[in-house]
Amino acid sequence: MTPILEFKNVTKTFGGLSAVKNLSFTVDRGEIVSIIGPNGSGKTTAFNLITGIYQPDYGDILYEGQSVVGLRPDQVQGLGIARTFQLLRLFSSMTVLENVLVGMHGRMRTGVFSAILRLPSVVKEERKAKAKAKEILALFPGRFSEGRQGQPAQALSYANRRRLEIARALASDPKLLLLDEPVAGMNPAETMELMHQIRDLREAGRTILLIEHDMKVIMGASDRVIVMDHGEKIAEGIPDVVAKDPLVVEAYLGKRAASIA
Amino acid sequence: MSRIRNTSNAPALPWIPRWMLALAALLAAAAFPLLVEYGVIQTVWIRVGTRALVYVLLAVGLNLIMGETGMLNLGYIAFFAIGAYTTALFSSPRFGFEVPFWPLLVMSAGLAMLAGYLVGLPSLRLRGDYLAIVTLAFGEVTRYTFNNWESVTNGPGGIPGIYRPTVFGYLVERPIEFYYLILVFVVLAVLLVANLKNSRVGRAWNALREDEIAAEAAGIHGMRAKMVALVISAAIAGVAGSLFAYYQQFINPTYFVFMQSVIIVCMIVLGGLGSIPGAVLGAVVLDSLPEFTRQSFSSWLPAIFGRDFMAGWPDFLRTFFLDFDQYRMLIVGLVIVVMVIFRPEGLIPDALWRREVHQEDPREQEHTLQTLFDIEEGKQDLEV
Repeated sequence: MTPILEFKNVTKTFGGLSAVKNLSFTVDRGEIVSIIGPNGSGKTTAFNLITGIYQPDYGDILYEGQSVVGLRPDQVQGLGIARTFQLLRLFSSMTVLENVLVGMHGRMRTGVFSAILRLPSVVKEERKAKAKAKEILALFPGRFSEGRQGQPAQALSYANRRRLEIARALASDPKLLLLDEPVAGMNPAETMELMHQIRDLREAGRTILLIEHDMKVIMGASDRVIVMDHGEKIAEGIPDVVAKDPLVVEAYLGKRAASIA
Repeated sequence: MSRIRNTSNAPALPWIPRWMLALAALLAAAAFPLLVEYGVIQTVWIRVGTRALVYVLLAVGLNLIMGETGMLNLGYIAFFAIGAYTTALFSSPRFGFEVPFWPLLVMSAGLAMLAGYLVGLPSLRLRGDYLAIVTLAFGEVTRYTFNNWESVTNGPGGIPGIYRPTVFGYLVERPIEFYYLILVFVVLAVLLVANLKNSRVGRAWNALREDEIAAEAAGIHGMRAKMVALVISAAIAGVAGSLFAYYQQFINPTYFVFMQSVIIVCMIVLGGLGSIPGAVLGAVVLDSLPEFTRQSFSSWLPAIFGRDFMAGWPDFLRTFFLDFDQYRMLIVGLVIVVMVIFRPEGLIPDALWRREVHQEDPREQEHTLQTLFDIEEGKQDLEV
């Protein structure tokens, strides 16, 4: 079976700096894979390469066996890849519900002319979309009450904004979900809760690639870990093994610490 | 909790529903010419009202591009000019054409749309100041073209004798008939733009305005969505231009100067960016203000306080009020400065823009308060 995502010798440089260097890895359908690594090791760049925000200088990125290189971000999203952002990028003046509805944009069919005339089909689609958005928000029980759905995203707590980013990404019903530090800023209880929700998403048939720093999430949720440092993959494997890899310890703690460990 | 709800979602005028205000405004606009017919106010007011309606069309159209997608367009008057010149050239003795009203209206809108598309192709990739400069240049280039292309446009001399239109077999001739004709188009434009605003398309525009990268990652084709906004707003200006030419019977390039673009921007800023009722109000206020002031000081106030009520006033004050048109831009500038300081969201703000104007940077906003009421509601655990 073809992997859902495959990086083939991907390189991306900014000026003289290689943000991602000759990176190759695969993600199989139904997996939860974590990418870890120190700050600046190229994790987010890898996400931006998949989603069409950047284009690779060399190499190829395949989604379900097809190259996504050269596609625009909205085209990539249309293929079934949705993402969240490390530094939250919600539409902060728009309401919670509207944020999710924007995520559904590519799945809706209303065109300019039918929208101008507000044809019955438009009203119907709008109603359906709202119902589906509420369903998605209900994946986070108790977090997005009816009253809160009408509030602007900027009025949400930090943790709820993270959840809303995930909800917006889920709105397009993606097969592959890219989460960039989904638990950053969450307390341990909230982290555990989100970890379970991520696993539930996988049970619902989605593949998840996540960037994470939180060891509890990495160890608890992921099937496989890819470790990056200075744009290169330095280790890959199941979480327990990777955590003991001397190269990984060195990348995180430095050479001396590694020798002591 | 309540504090946050109030700042975010309170309507501008909570005690009256919006649709009732809209209906009241429509009735007032429809009844206004009767004041003239029955001699309550002078006939000049029909002209003032008709012109204001043309500007309402322009403000609603510009609001689509500036208010919804957030693109600053300083050359909007060019689309108006293209619509007006199309109508003037094809329905006047200039070349002997007399294309009927509806086809010519479509042609005028169509050419304005085409111009919008051609300008959009290279410039929509730009943002902020750069886009403003390109559109400003486009506006000036268009005006210079009409000014210098004498073989076609007759240059600064303009095009006189534009024929009266026949609409559904009815010859529109009197000012009051033009007033109602244009009012019909204003109502249509407001309804159609409101529909767009509250649809998937409008939502995409708002998302692009707030965060282009996130919007594209959410599946919106940014370039296409912006182009749609630009082309539709150009079409509205084209229609406005055509109606203006028919009504005015004469056009020349001085109607389409840069200051006109600026005035329309001021109208929607005054009314409230992104707000349709705001655009309507802003256009009516700014366009009729000079005539209103002049009339007030030349006939209404003297009627109340006696002919010489300004006798003791210094000269400069008298000329200021009687020649108010001269000082129009000065006052507009002053009004905008005062607005930006005291009510940056506009007179009748749009909910989205009000939040945007008043929000702190969400990434720096401290969330202690939210966390506290989350705990209060039992939605967040206390353990850390």
